[in-house]
Amino acid sequence: MANKNKMFFALAAGILYVLFGCMQIVEQFGIKTGLAELLLIPGDIFGGLCLVVIGAVFLYGAKELNSGMNMGVSYVYVGILMSLVFMAVYVLIIGASLLEVYLIQNEDYLEWRIIDDIRPGLYLGFLSLAGYVAWRGRFSLPAAK
Amino acid sequence: MPQVLPLTMMPEGTEGKVVSINAGRCLKRRLVEMGFLENTVVTVHRSDRGALMVNVNGSKYALGKGMAMKIMVTDCYN
Amino acid sequence: MTQNKITIALAGNPNVGKSTLFNAITGAHQHVGNWAGVTVEKKIGTRTYHDTEIEVVDLPGTYSLTAYSVDEIVARDYVVEDKPDVVVQIVDATNLERNLYLTTQLMELGSRLVIALNMWDVAESRGDKIDTTKMEEFLEIPVVKTIGNKGEGIDGLLDEVLREAGKGAHHEHEVSYGNEIESKIIELERILVNDDALSARYPLRWLAIKLLDGDENILEKIKVSPMATQIDNVLNTIDREDCEASMADKRYEAINTVLPQVCERCVKEVTFSDMIDHVVTNKYLGIPIFLSMMWAAFEVTFTFATPFMGMIDMFFGWLAGVVAENITTIWLGSLLGDGIVAGVGAVMIFLPNIMLLFLMLSLLEDCGYMARAAFIMDKLMYKIGLHGRSFIPLLMGFGCNVPAIMATRTIEDERDRLITILVNPFISCGARLPVYILLAGAFFGRDAGSVIFGLYMLGIIVAILSAKLIRGTLIKGKPAPFIMELPPYRIPTVKGSAIHMWEKGSLYVKKAGTIILAGVILVWLFSAIPSPGVDAAFASEEILGTGDSLMGALGHVIEPLVAPLGFDWRIAVALVFGFVAKEIVIGSMGVLYGVGKDEDALGDILVAGAMTPLSALGLMVFTLLYVPCIATIGVIKKETGSWKWTLFAAGYTTGLAWIAAFLIYQVGTYVGWGL
Repeated sequence: MANKNKMFFALAAGILYVLFGCMQIVEQFGIKTGLAELLLIPGDIFGGLCLVVIGAVFLYGAKELNSGMNMGVSYVYVGILMSLVFMAVYVLIIGASLLEVYLIQNEDYLEWRIIDDIRPGLYLGFLSLAGYVAWRGRFSLPAAK
Repeated sequence: MPQVLPLTMMPEGTEGKVVSINAGRCLKRRLVEMGFLENTVVTVHRSDRGALMVNVNGSKYALGKGMAMKIMVTDCYN
Repeated sequence: MTQNKITIALAGNPNVGKSTLFNAITGAHQHVGNWAGVTVEKKIGTRTYHDTEIEVVDLPGTYSLTAYSVDEIVARDYVVEDKPDVVVQIVDATNLERNLYLTTQLMELGSRLVIALNMWDVAESRGDKIDTTKMEEFLEIPVVKTIGNKGEGIDGLLDEVLREAGKGAHHEHEVSYGNEIESKIIELERILVNDDALSARYPLRWLAIKLLDGDENILEKIKVSPMATQIDNVLNTIDREDCEASMADKRYEAINTVLPQVCERCVKEVTFSDMIDHVVTNKYLGIPIFLSMMWAAFEVTFTFATPFMGMIDMFFGWLAGVVAENITTIWLGSLLGDGIVAGVGAVMIFLPNIMLLFLMLSLLEDCGYMARAAFIMDKLMYKIGLHGRSFIPLLMGFGCNVPAIMATRTIEDERDRLITILVNPFISCGARLPVYILLAGAFFGRDAGSVIFGLYMLGIIVAILSAKLIRGTLIKGKPAPFIMELPPYRIPTVKGSAIHMWEKGSLYVKKAGTIILAGVILVWLFSAIPSPGVDAAFASEEILGTGDSLMGALGHVIEPLVAPLGFDWRIAVALVFGFVAKEIVIGSMGVLYGVGKDEDALGDILVAGAMTPLSALGLMVFTLLYVPCIATIGVIKKETGSWKWTLFAAGYTTGLAWIAAFLIYQVGTYVGWGL
């Protein structure tokens, strides 16, 4: 069943997003989990909350699908869309840093490496990207006028 | 027996057929322009917020609860 | 040649183009009367086609053939009792599911059916693909595509009607209701066959089904039947309500097994748009999702703008250098360099922020999400005394209050609109941010972020309380009913959103080019003209930006007004000029403290003793709340069309700002905080 796949996908993505979101929040409060360096987790309350929201959307979808509600797939799709939006945001942030380095040649950015701007919101997005590619047929919207 | 009830009482995800609109002339005209004619089928998508989200004539509208109370519908078909 | 004569009936849901098709078939040959005994209009027309005279009867439009309305009874009785040779059901191709419900009922009536698939061009243009060959196969009914308003497919339809009328035996295709109900149907059929009167007029299976369906009209007829008691016995063995519901379900089930095979996309109409709506309006997740999207928009606005702000800063720095090198006349150099370039530059530096914010809001608007945001926030807005639609203008206020107030035009009710306009200036616009950044950065160090966030929240709270206050006193009454169309989601195009961004953002550029330019020249003039009694030349170094200038004199005049707030004459002057544009507060403080546009130096001077954290906080709150900039006042006048409300806005905001700053400074001093 295709819905079974989606349920497991949503469950996995949901847990990951909630987990990483919580870690970002915890990090902001100065609690060291020791994972920050390894997983490139910044201290960021609001960014973390956003990841938790995305995770919650996925988990809600998993819950609905598990109880046999077909509309549960909607949550999976919207979760994917939201995580792609956030991935785009983090890509733009890298873009802004690149502009600082090469165009403005800002002195504060002399030490900047691309790894400094990589965030969970960015690399977790690849999971959703895979989901998007797998079910892309369903993501059909007309273009605005 | 079909039950006549205000649109706000319809469970989410159900369809109803408009029986009457008990509103003043102005409001009634607004609603009629939107497609709330007698016998039109209305689908209620959301009713757990301050406003309802309904589908009528292929368009989706957000509709305040006060206004939705004035639209009487029956659950159709049965 | 003998002329054949047949009768056909047109059936269908209301609004499927039945009358148009009727006219297309019969042309002018029609007459209008009433159905016997009721006031339902009866239209009959004739048409001769291939030697056959066709009488066409237009049945009333109905959704089903139960006996709930006169229309339905008339249509049903005609089909059952007058037995037209062929019933043509006009089906709206854009809404197959609903229309096929009637089809299942017509099939049960045992009539010979032809389906006219009307408006299929609309369905097709919408992206639905309906396979008529498969449809004929599954339903065992001929299907003809028609476009009533263009008269297309009429001949094809009539060909099919004649062919069907000429057929001898008729195969009934029926919905299967499942073992339990089917056994009851057979039981009833066996009883009914003994009633000659009824069985001669109606198909037995149909009668049985209608009895199980709880059809009052048929139940009436059964009462006089010799088999009445036997039938009642059978009916008493079932739970009628349950039975009715499960039969309707079965009909839908039958339709829904056929639909996906016949039609691509038009199944049950759960579009991707509906799916998104289902999630973003979820009771629990709706608001968190909305806030996340807002955070994403603001994050992009502020981080992506930084390099562009750097570029603009570099440009104005270069321009100032050019001016300093080439203009040797002291006063002109000062006017151009310290006045115009520095002043306009200080405003233009926020252009990337403003543009990106409007780009983000345009993207959200163009994809259709903003309308949902209004829907989600309506309950909250209603509690505040505002309208769901007030939300978008308030949100835009974070960018700039001028386009935000213009955006209130979407609010239809005048009173709702007025309140939204009046509280909009409390939403902290981008221009106030540099003031916070400088002061919070200088005085609150690590907590600067929280202080700035707190100011934004304060603005929102004041806006909410003011809305409640105004709704309770000046503009009474409840917010107007909320109606808003929620357009389907679309993928925003770069071009479309860029145009919308420019429409709104260019106002800001215009403002920088006109009002702010005039404002900075005025500020410079005030600081260059010696105050009365001072013996110095115009725009000489001793005068520029010191207490000896006209500006200094002005400052000293109004100083007593702001002294209780802990502000000195320089700040008084800066605030006066902040009316031109709030960004100018920082610029003119720079001039007045004699550090020009070097903000770090200004911060140092302020911390060194010119201000305390308490008065700095007071100044930030004052800047947040006091009279909106001249451009905003202008647009308030334009949009309300009333000087009275414009003056009210100016007075109310300034009064509130004074009280707030007074309380902060006096209470703070009293408890000894931040000294």
